[in-house]
Amino acid sequence: MNVIEVKNLRKEFNSYTSRPGLAGAFRDLFTRNYKVHAAVDNISLTIKQGEMVGYIGENGAGKSTTIKMLTGILTPTSGSIIVNGMNPHKQREEFVRTIGVVFGQRSQLWWDIAVQESFRLLKKVYRVSDEDYNHHMGHVIETLDIGPLLDKPVRKLSLGQRMRCELAAALVHNPPLLFLDEPTIGLDVLVKLKIRKFLQEINEQYKTTILLTTHDLTDIEALCERVVLLDEGKIIYDGKLNQLQEHAVEGKQIEFEFLSEVPRSSLPRIENIQWEQKDATTWLGLINGDEQMISQLISDVVQRNPIKNVRINEVSTEEIVRKIYEEGMALT
Amino acid sequence: MFYLSLFFQYASQYLKTRLTYRVDTILEILSDLLSQGVNLIFILIVFRHTAFLGGWNRDEIIFIYGFFLVPYAIFSSFFNIWDFNERYIVKGEMDRILTRPVHSLFQIILERIELESLFGAITGLVVMSYAMANLDLTFAWYDVLLFIVMVIGGTFIYAGIFISIATIGFWSDSRTDIMPMMYNISNYGRYPINIYNKVIQFVLTWILPFAFVGVYPASYFLNREEWYGYAFFTPVMGILFLGISIVLWNAGVKKYRGAGN
Repeated sequence: MNVIEVKNLRKEFNSYTSRPGLAGAFRDLFTRNYKVHAAVDNISLTIKQGEMVGYIGENGAGKSTTIKMLTGILTPTSGSIIVNGMNPHKQREEFVRTIGVVFGQRSQLWWDIAVQESFRLLKKVYRVSDEDYNHHMGHVIETLDIGPLLDKPVRKLSLGQRMRCELAAALVHNPPLLFLDEPTIGLDVLVKLKIRKFLQEINEQYKTTILLTTHDLTDIEALCERVVLLDEGKIIYDGKLNQLQEHAVEGKQIEFEFLSEVPRSSLPRIENIQWEQKDATTWLGLINGDEQMISQLISDVVQRNPIKNVRINEVSTEEIVRKIYEEGMALT
Repeated sequence: MFYLSLFFQYASQYLKTRLTYRVDTILEILSDLLSQGVNLIFILIVFRHTAFLGGWNRDEIIFIYGFFLVPYAIFSSFFNIWDFNERYIVKGEMDRILTRPVHSLFQIILERIELESLFGAITGLVVMSYAMANLDLTFAWYDVLLFIVMVIGGTFIYAGIFISIATIGFWSDSRTDIMPMMYNISNYGRYPINIYNKVIQFVLTWILPFAFVGVYPASYFLNREEWYGYAFFTPVMGILFLGISIVLWNAGVKKYRGAGN
């Protein structure tokens, strides 16, 4: 079953540029230079129930705009959106009862009142029955470990504590679809791990579909099988995360650390291998193409030279994404 | 029904918060009282120099002022949207509102209630009864009902005008100074309409109908029969203006551009 179906979605913003100088300002009074800018440019996307999808892109790539259209906040300029079988903007009030939203930089909770009072207001807003609330939220509160925070006002919580409460607040009505916009921004490692573990749990237990945007690609690595990569409003990759890694990385890198200084001449000459010196006792071997070369190379090197350490470097997702954006690599 | 119970939930939450900031609350009520007192003193000073203002005597004007305070107090308690542009559009709080399954305008009203402003209504009633005693006015039983209808009409007019102005924020994100100006204009409705020139009379009756919050409905209770037609038109204008503002609001929400992160 498709939870999200998006076809040829487009969102344009009108912006006007101002002319320089005072004379320019006067001209702006009468005619303005309008510029149409497509924040989201013809994207199509389907997401099935129970998927966890990472939605990534640079600042201004159109991530937030897409999320805001998917959640019914913004009206699309053209294209069709069906989420949970509804049109988010047209059936807004009915629709938002079936989704949960966390904006990392914006609070859903009431600043001055205790966390549990916020939950209670939300329970009322979403018309959740006492029975459902107690059963479901008891579990959420326990897993996120926020029981001791419930009677504190939000303004007295630390960022990590607040984020966990935000997440719980988005789940008061146990929505089948969850949008998370930068949920781990500014959090320390322990809190991040807790949040990830929790997301995995609700995904398994309730088959909750999760769409996640983040700048922290380790979140995506830990949670999402599928990633959607966005650049200048267009989708440039949509597929498995590990395929992205395979696609993007030309070859592997092996780092040899020798006991003593080793000249270039004592390293094996093999086709498809490039050597690069890191420091006096360390060399990097770059293998292009065949992965079977790895074991051959290692055995050749180790036989001739006394070795201290050997490391096969895998390229991190972060590096891949950086590379894609720098080199403008299209992976479709 | 759901909206009513939601209202009580928010209101009780609001009271809980206010009780923790007791000093603040008391200061706010006192400062409201002070400004109402100043307005009253102004009227008294004017009538030390003249016995009539456009054919109305001192106690009639005081009565109009007292009446005006009641819808104004209700408006101030429930429709705090004067900083809507700043708070919800520029800061992007509207995003949060729109992800919740309740009408967006109603949510904002609930979030911004300021129940302590209701004390102004009590002041208004006291001022009115003082004027009534001086004027020897009598009240029939149905006047109580009419009073409620007129107050609701006046509140709706206020709400309609201010909501309509707030919706400008959906189309233009630049800051405007219309809101404070409107608060000034709204004060004109507290004085007899016939003391102004024709253009201002027209504006206060049909375009920014603040006269329907003060002088027109009050003239019914003052037995000023020449204004009865306008007086009974108060609830109609209220429903009309609130209706227009809701239509504008719903159109505006579709134009909402959101704030960047």
